[in-house]
Parts: sequence; structure tokens; C-alpha cells
Amino acid sequence: MTDKVTNWTGADDAMVENAIRRGATRRELLQLMLAGGVAASASGLILGRAGSAMAATPVKGGSLKAAGWSSSTADTLDPAKASLSTDYVRCCAFYNRLTYLDKTGVPQMELAESIDSKDAKVWIVKLRKGVTFHNGKTLSSADVVYSMNRHLDKATGSKVNSIAKQMTEIKAIDDLTVQITLANPNADLPTILAMHHFMIIADGTTDFTKANGTGAFTCEVFEPGARSVGLRNANYFKSGGAHLDSFEFFGIPDDSARVNALLSGDIQLAAAINPRSIRLVESQPGVVLSKTTSGNYTNLNMRLDMTPGDKAGFIEGVKHLLNREQIQKSALRGLAEVANDQPVSPASIYHNKDLKPKAFDPDKAKALFQKAGLIGQSIPVVASEAAGSSIDMAMILQQAGTEIGMKFDVQRVPSDGYWSNYWLKAPMHFGNINPRPTPDILFSLLYASDAPWNESQFKSPKFDSMLIEARGLLDIAKRKEIYNEMQVMIADQAGTAIPVYLSNVDAISAKLKGLEANPLGGMMGYSFAEYVWLEA
Amino acid sequence: MNRHVLNLVLARLMIAVITLLIVSFTVFAATVLLPGDVVEVLLGQAATPEAVAGLRAAMHLDDPAIWRFIQWLGGIFTGDFGISYANNMPVADLIGPRLANSLKLAGITTLVSVPVALTLGITAAMWRGSWFDRSVTILSIGIVSVPEFMVATSAVLVFAVYLKWLPALSFANEIHTFGQLLRVYAMPVITLSFVISAQMIRMTRAAVIDTLNTPYVEMALLKGASRKRLVLKHALPNALGPIVNAVALSLSYLLGGVIIVETIFNYPGVAKLMVDAVSTRDLPLIQTCAMLFCIVYLFLITTADIIAILSNPRLR
Amino acid sequence: MVRSFFSLRAAGYRFNLVGLIGFCLVAGWAIVALSAPLIIPYPIGEIVDYDYFGPISGQFWLGSDYLGRDILSRILMGARYTVGISLLAVMISCSVGVTLGMTAAVIGGWLDTLLSRFLDALNSIPSKLFGLVVVAGIGSSIPVLVCTLAVIYTPGAYRFARALSVNINTMDFVTVSRARGEGTFFLIRSEILPNIIGPVLADLGLRFVFIVLLLSGLSFLGLGVQPPNADWGALVRENIGGLPFGAPAVMFPSIAIASLTIGVNLLIDNLPQKIRDRSQ
Repeated sequence: MTDKVTNWTGADDAMVENAIRRGATRRELLQLMLAGGVAASASGLILGRAGSAMAATPVKGGSLKAAGWSSSTADTLDPAKASLSTDYVRCCAFYNRLTYLDKTGVPQMELAESIDSKDAKVWIVKLRKGVTFHNGKTLSSADVVYSMNRHLDKATGSKVNSIAKQMTEIKAIDDLTVQITLANPNADLPTILAMHHFMIIADGTTDFTKANGTGAFTCEVFEPGARSVGLRNANYFKSGGAHLDSFEFFGIPDDSARVNALLSGDIQLAAAINPRSIRLVESQPGVVLSKTTSGNYTNLNMRLDMTPGDKAGFIEGVKHLLNREQIQKSALRGLAEVANDQPVSPASIYHNKDLKPKAFDPDKAKALFQKAGLIGQSIPVVASEAAGSSIDMAMILQQAGTEIGMKFDVQRVPSDGYWSNYWLKAPMHFGNINPRPTPDILFSLLYASDAPWNESQFKSPKFDSMLIEARGLLDIAKRKEIYNEMQVMIADQAGTAIPVYLSNVDAISAKLKGLEANPLGGMMGYSFAEYVWLEA
Repeated sequence: MNRHVLNLVLARLMIAVITLLIVSFTVFAATVLLPGDVVEVLLGQAATPEAVAGLRAAMHLDDPAIWRFIQWLGGIFTGDFGISYANNMPVADLIGPRLANSLKLAGITTLVSVPVALTLGITAAMWRGSWFDRSVTILSIGIVSVPEFMVATSAVLVFAVYLKWLPALSFANEIHTFGQLLRVYAMPVITLSFVISAQMIRMTRAAVIDTLNTPYVEMALLKGASRKRLVLKHALPNALGPIVNAVALSLSYLLGGVIIVETIFNYPGVAKLMVDAVSTRDLPLIQTCAMLFCIVYLFLITTADIIAILSNPRLR
Repeated sequence: MVRSFFSLRAAGYRFNLVGLIGFCLVAGWAIVALSAPLIIPYPIGEIVDYDYFGPISGQFWLGSDYLGRDILSRILMGARYTVGISLLAVMISCSVGVTLGMTAAVIGGWLDTLLSRFLDALNSIPSKLFGLVVVAGIGSSIPVLVCTLAVIYTPGAYRFARALSVNINTMDFVTVSRARGEGTFFLIRSEILPNIIGPVLADLGLRFVFIVLLLSGLSFLGLGVQPPNADWGALVRENIGGLPFGAPAVMFPSIAIASLTIGVNLLIDNLPQKIRDRSQ
């Protein structure tokens, strides 16, 4: 969301835009910015932004090739099972949701015309008229009821079962009206419905070898682990429809290979490039970068019910021993924002700005470890490629520990099976949490006493009651107050150290226009296919 | 002689079936031993105990693993390789197009690398100790000691990013002319040839030199045979056994071992499929891939053994 | 290693120049491996440079890596793992493989069939699956890593040695020896081994290269060298992003691998005649 570069102000943005209008070359612009004291590695991001601000009118036609970072035989067209970025991209192209989040994180209507509630408990969803599926069927309330109910059926294997569970009843009022009843009031429902898993499929669909949705593209080819091809849907309900004639999407897991494919012109979009590739991409003409900080983070979990996390002072010591600035600068090359040990990112309006990150203070950490009687002991820390950057973070902690006589034994384990074997289980391990649209979802999934993924086994009855109280409040200011206090509780009491929020940088061909940042993630919250166009 | 070979082939076929069964069971046992199952992998971070139980029941994974294995085994005799757990598609459909891709890549690589490697190995042996021999040694070891991902990435950087002569990705489905074929396969084939040639060059050289030292070849030398004749006529046939074995071992790498090339060039083949299958604990897919690799491997080494026997009159 | 070299020399074994170069490369790296902790300029885990993929400089002789750590220190420490583990693993796999191969060729019959098919089957198990099962079942440590590498490369060594031995086994002098009533052990040691030692050593040299490379692959499966330590292959891999910049961080580990593997193979190719030849 935010594009923070030190020493860079709105006035500088204007200067660059003016320079572009005057026809300045890229080299001149770089000199301009270097003179202004902006690091060269960051300047590409600014160019990209200034460039998109000058975007021309969309061009119809053309075919786009784009690459994500992962793809496997587990790729799916079933929105309920979607788990990787590639799945989200496909779902966004072939299906629609009731709502979607705009670039400021506010829910907007898509298949729904309106979603209203008086008490935040019983919600009335009115559907848009005249929307058709790819096979010609007209969208009706039965499709929405079917799509929602699937998440409640264990046999579906829905990823959002734990969130969908609060919908106690989903029923059709008439052909275009659905009533959703919640177990407890929840003012966030429109935002929840914007999650990728809540895409609407046709009533009775069980076969997901081809996609039958209402989306801007029809599914032409779907080969799991290989590629997907979408063709422009001529009958799309949004006026104008997609700009592209077709798009092809696949995963190239190798960081360098993905960037190289973009530089050679084989693809026009390379998602999530490695921070260290920026210097390379910068030096090439015809490529721009798009940065998003959406609240994805890699965190160090210390279980409060196991040694050493149960020793008073240990967790606080680790939080002071994590050199956040070094993690941000060296491990992530600036593509991160220093975090304050709680999961609500600055991209959210509920982020507590007054809660400062714990300072890097090895002496204080040493005193705390001494008090806990842990100095000199070897403490295992489990890290894996599965949790992005965790090995680098572990090594930075390890080195800081060496200097005060603490021995952290970094154990690199396979990414294969990491989530079922080590995550939540080892006494001290890393996790990686994807962005969620609301603090309520984050807290209920990760910090409530009965949370399914309570990473550090943090239990606080006070926290639980605050969570329920805030959920039913339609008054945003009051909610913010409660959420602020909850963030302080997490930062001080939970065993989860969150050193930085990670940024995502997509590299795109300068010919690709219309890509904007989105709080749901990179590639425009994975929905780029519908909105972008290719300049001739 | 022919009958001897025929008997050998028949015996090997029978043993091959047994080997396949053993490998199949070992792979099955290994997969079951691995922590985590397909349901936990599919649900990932969303794998709460009740969600796991629900999906496991829905996917009929509650039957004992050994029973599912026996069912799968029974299925292959009727030509049914089962349904992938991960995406509900028939395994045969998943493997089919990718196997064709893999075989194409392996075939082209074989055609390119085997003649070159054998020629280099034999000539190096012929002029053993010369500058030519030494440079072949240093080059072949130097090349094979560069990690595969580095060879591939360097090639892409030079030929695709800077020179823009070749595409960085290999889209096998976009080949219509011979020129396109060359462009698409050039880099993957060169990378793979780098990897597998060293073994063939070195082993050929060593085996030929070794036979040059045998009394029988020394005799020919005394009789005044030329160096070329000595190597081609006398040493080579005797060295053929070890050479074809080295070739077979090298080629066996081309199906299951090319994961890096498949990943970097985005070439959908069976190696990536197998790695995916292991990651998702997709038993029918793992089994079928493992069988496939095993069959190819057995075919290669059995061919090597037969050539070895035919080339040595004393073994017939 | 150094002492044995001099005693060999005294006994009349002489290297030629190329062999000597190979020997010096290998011995040099062995000395580095042994003395690494004493000579590294910086702790291997410490971030000493705020830049990444830094160039060669007076402060960092071989530049800095992707995190800004000193690459010279990392290569020197990495020598311990790459040289030590690979040499040990190649010795085990080749001695086991070659011994079994010769035995199978000499004895033949059921033993041969059984061994051959068993090792074929072993070779057919995908190495990723194998590595994962080992990590899950036994855990990760250096001895486990060495054994895993040895197991993966034994079948190949066996197959090649057997193919060579079968040919020798049909030679007249072996038949004569057998007719004299010599035992299997004698046949293997005195008749077969001296006649196949050349190709077997060449095979060993190559297998060494493969092991050096696979080492880093296994580290990434979680089986093997643990952070902040890294073997050379892992150094290349973690710094591959520096390739487009020609970063020393990716070049020098590759050069280190090449120099070691070429050294080993030159040494093997140019071993003194007495070791290499069958005349004794």
C-alpha cells in the first residue's frame, strides 16, 4: 500500500512527473533523484509510480504472459481450495466475488448490488441483475447460497471454513436476494466476502477441471502445475469488460529465471521479484516496478507453554535482540517496514502508530537472558524456506546472540511438510502469515485463546472479551480504540516477534499499464488480468 | 548366441517385474513414512484437526494406506493408473503430455551429447597425455563442476537477456517449424549435455586406456598396428561394456533428474511432476512416476548389459 | 596427506608436473579446511557490509555476499564441509560399490543377480523422496549426510566396477588363477582390482564432483550443513542472484569448486605409474 522512501516527499513526486512531461530521459531522471539524495535502488519504484500516474487511456486487445512464483499439481480452479497466488489469479480472472476491496482497502460491490444490515447480525445481499455465467446460465441467489454453503461442508476442504463458520444460515429470499445470518454480530462481513475464497460459482458445480464463472475471462486451458489460459469474456457484465484479448499465467519458482524471462521479453509481468534483483531490473530499459506492502509477515514464534518461552524475560529479551533495522536493510534490502510485534500492518486503518517497535538493545537482552538463567545454553530455532526470509532472520538473530554469549542453534528444515510438522509445534520456530483484510480475522485466527493457529499459545480472557466486543461495533472510532489496546497486549505479552512487514514488488514491462497496488496482495490483489492493458 | 541373448532378455524381464514391485512398495512405504499426508498439505495453514478429518473422509483416505496401495496396484493391470489426490484428474492425463515433453528433451539431448562425448573420450584416450587429452579433461571436469542452475542461468542471461537470440522460456507447445525447435531446445539441451557428457567422456577415456594396457592389445601393437587401428579395432570393442554402462547411467538422469532445467526454462516435464507429487503426498502420482523412472532405468541398463555381453565373445 | 606424499616420494613414486599441480590444489584446500577457523578475517555469520554483492576491496578481499557477509571467510569455512564431507562420502561409496561389484563379477550366479537387482532398485528411488525420508526418520547431522550421499552414489560405482570386472574375469590369467584354486578374496585383490584401478579411479574422481554438487541440494532439503555454515555449492546457490552483476560472491565459490574438483581429477589421472598400473 504505502510507498515509503526516506527523503522523498510529494513535492519530489511532482518534480519527477514534470520532468517526464518535459521528456527527460531515464538517465536524467536518475541523476535528478540522486542529487536529491534518494538511493538508486529505490528510484525505480518512484519512476514506476510516476509513470502510472500519467497513464493513458486503455488500449483494447493483445495477449499477456505473466508469471507467478509458485505452481504445482495442487493448482485448482476451486475457489474454496485456492491456496497459492496462482490460484488467486485464476479465480479473479474466471469468477467474481460479491464484493472486492479497492486500493484503499474499502469494500466495493461486485456481484452484489448492496449488502446491508441493521444489527451486523442479519445481512441482506441484493444481487446484480442480468449477470451470466460462461455457460450462459443467469446468476441467481441459488448460486450464492450454494457457493457459501460449500465452505461449511467439511468435504469441500475449504480454506476459510473457520471464517465461514460464523454464518449460521444462508438462504434465498427471492431470485436476487440472499439473507446471511451470523452467529454473533460482525460488522466486517462485506470485507470478509471480498476474500478470494468467496468467489461465486454456479449452483451444483462439482467438476473443477474447467471454470464456469461470471468473470472477465473464460477458461481456455487449465493444466495444473503447467499453465492456464484465459480468453476475453464478450458477455462480461461490467461495461467494456477486460482490455486484453487473452492472458496466459504460469509459475516460475526460480527467482532469477522469472526476472530473466521478463528482461528477455518472454513475459510482461514477473510477480514478487527478489529484492536483490531490483538493481538489475533498474539497469534495463522498458521495465517498471510496482510495490505493495499489504501486511504479509514472517514472524518468530516462541511457545509460552514450552521451554525456553516459559522462562520469564526470555521472550522480551528476544524481541530486544532482533535487529529489525538490519533485517529490513540487509535481509530484505529495504523492501519491508519495521514492525512492532503485532499483526495489524500500516496498510490497515486500525494500525496502532503509537506502538513503537522494541529497540535493538543487546545489553538489555543479555540482562533479561541472565535473569531467565539461559545464557550459555544452546537454544534451537527452527527456520525454513517455507517461511520466506526466515533463515536470514534466524542467522541475524544468531549472530546478535553470539555477541552476548547466547547460542541460537539454527535448524534449517525442509519446506516440504513445514506447515504440518514444525509450524505451531516447535518451541521456537518461524511462521509466515498472509495478509487478512481485517484485524478481527487476524486476531480470531492467531491470538484468541481458542484460535486455530495460536502460534505462541497466548491465552488471555481479557483479550477474548475485547475481541467479541469490537466485532459487533459499527462505530469505527470505538473499534479502533479497542484494537489499539489489543495490539499493545500482543506486542507485550504474546510470544510472537514480528520484526518487519514484508513488501511485494512485481516487475512489469513498461508496455503493461493499469496495474495498481491493492491491500489484498501483489499483482493488484491478484486481479490484474481484468484491469491491465498492453500498449502497442 | 541369439538364444543366449533371448534367454537373458526373458530372465531380465521377469526380474524387472519383481524389481518394479519392490521399488513400488519401497516408494509406497517411504511416502507413508513421511510426516503429513495429502489432506494436511492441501489444507496447508488451514489444517485444523476437524477440517483434516472431514476432508480425509470425503476423499476416502480413511482406508488403510496399504489397502489403497493394493487397489492402485490392481488398477495398473487394467491400465488404470488411478486418480490424483491433489486435483482429482486421472494420473494418465497428467503424465501423458509431460512424458512426451520429457522424452523429446531427453531424446534430443541424447542425440547431441552421446556422439560428441564418445568421440571426445576415444580421441582423448588415443592421444593420452597430450595437450588435447589434458584440455578435454580440464574442460569436462570444469564444466561438470559448475552447478547446473548456474549453467542454465548464465545461458539465459547471455543468450536471452543480453543478446536476445533465444527465448528465456521453452514453450514446447509453440513449435511449428524446425527453426523454432532449435530456438526452444537450444539452451535446455546444451545445459543438460554439459551435465551428462563429463561422465561419458571420462569413463570412455578411462575404459579405452585400460584396454590399451591389456596383453592382447599390446600384442597387436607389437604386430605393428597403427594407433588409430589399435584403438578402434582392438581396444574399443573390449571397452564397450563399461562405456555403455556409463552412457546408460548418464542417460538415466535425463528423465527424473532434470528438475532444475525444467524449472528454469519453465518446461513442463515429468521431473517437476514427481517433485510436486512428493510435496503433496499424492500417492497414485508418486507411484506412477516412480514406476516410469524405474522402467526407463531398467530398460537402459538392460540394454547396456546386453551390448556388453554381445561385445565380449567370452561372455556370450 | 602431506606426510604420506613425502614417504611415497621416498619410495620411488614420482608425480609428473600436472599431477603435482593437482596434488597442490587438493592439499592446499585440505590445509585451508583444517586451519579455517584460525585464518578467517570475519565471523562467517556477521553482516559486515551494508551493501550486498559488494566488489573486491581491500576490506573484503572477495567481496560480500547477498546479506553483506564476507565471502572470503565463508569460502574458507565452507572448505571444511565441501572437502571433508565429499571426500569421506566418495571414499565410502566407491569402496563399498567397487568391492561389491568385483565380488559380484567373480562369484557370479545368484549373488550377482541379487546384488545387481537390489542396487538397481535402490537407484530407482527418487533422491528427493529418499532425502526427505532420511530427514524425517533419522534427523539431520553430518554423519547422516555423509551416509546418505554414500548410499546415493554406491549403485553407480557398483555398476561401473562390475562391468569392468566382468570383462577382466573372462581373461585367461584369471581363469588360470582360478584353476590354481585361489580364493575369491585373492582373485579380487590380486587379479581384478589391479586391472580395473584406472577406470575405477576415474569414476571416483567424477563421483566426487557429483557429490560436491549434490551436497548443497541436500542442504536445501534440510539434510546437512546448518546455517550460518554453508558448503560451496550452497554459497553459489544463495548468491545466484548476483550472477547478472558478475558478483564475486557467486564467481569465487564456483571457482573454488572447479579448482578442487579439477585438482582431484588431475591428481587421479596423473598418479605415479606404480599406483596406476597393474604391473607389480
